[in-house]
Amino acid sequence: MLEDSGFVGVEIGPGVDTFAGAGGEPNARAYGVLGYPFLARKPA
Amino acid sequence: MADVQSAPDELAVDAEALREEVKIKYREVAIKPDGEFHFHTGRPLAAKLGYDPAIVDPLPDVAVESFAGVANPFAAGPLNEGEHVVDAGSGCGFDSFIAASQVGPTGHIIGIDMTKEMLDKSRATAGQMGLDYVEFREGLIEDMPVEDGWADVVISNGVINLCADKKQAFSEIRRVLRPGGRLQFADIANSKPVPEAAVRNIDLWTA
Repeated sequence: MLEDSGFVGVEIGPGVDTFAGAGGEPNARAYGVLGYPFLARKPA
Repeated sequence: MADVQSAPDELAVDAEALREEVKIKYREVAIKPDGEFHFHTGRPLAAKLGYDPAIVDPLPDVAVESFAGVANPFAAGPLNEGEHVVDAGSGCGFDSFIAASQVGPTGHIIGIDMTKEMLDKSRATAGQMGLDYVEFREGLIEDMPVEDGWADVVISNGVINLCADKKQAFSEIRRVLRPGGRLQFADIANSKPVPEAAVRNIDLWTA
């Protein structure tokens, strides 16, 4: 979706199990949800 | 690698109804940061996500206690001195204050949020910290009160997933960035398919 929106150089960092130990953990586990850092650029 | 699924052309949920649900949730996070939520908050969350304790520890509790991000948008690298930064969905202002420590007083931070209680909190904290180069404006990510090409960097943390129209959110972020500007954001992504019924269940967007 980032590239479809005109961004380039998209990078995705390692995932973090942000919901582990929180109430949202069951849903996160069910759908394989993790938090990620993203980097993208608007073309120069 | 994360499987960031594309949103269908038709919005899965009503955008305004979703915004109201999000406001209710994050109003509570602003007012009662020690409450029970489906996500972690505050200093324990910042530590879990790998924020630099040398930057986080000196922040006043009010700057951190309602933080509810999902990863670290600064993992790609620190911001540069003097940069103009937009924090899309700034919440209590935690990431704006981290950004402020990196760009310094020659830079400028504009935080955008739609929840009054979060704006009240972030504005009061910026005043308490004496950060006159950090401001918070009321607005939506899909329609930010920022001029074209103003930002060197847009940061965001755990907010775009709460936008019904993600294409519009990314289009708006692109608009406020200067050519060559960076989008450094953190958000959730799923590696397993989410059933259509769950995608259309507005309660699951904030639960």
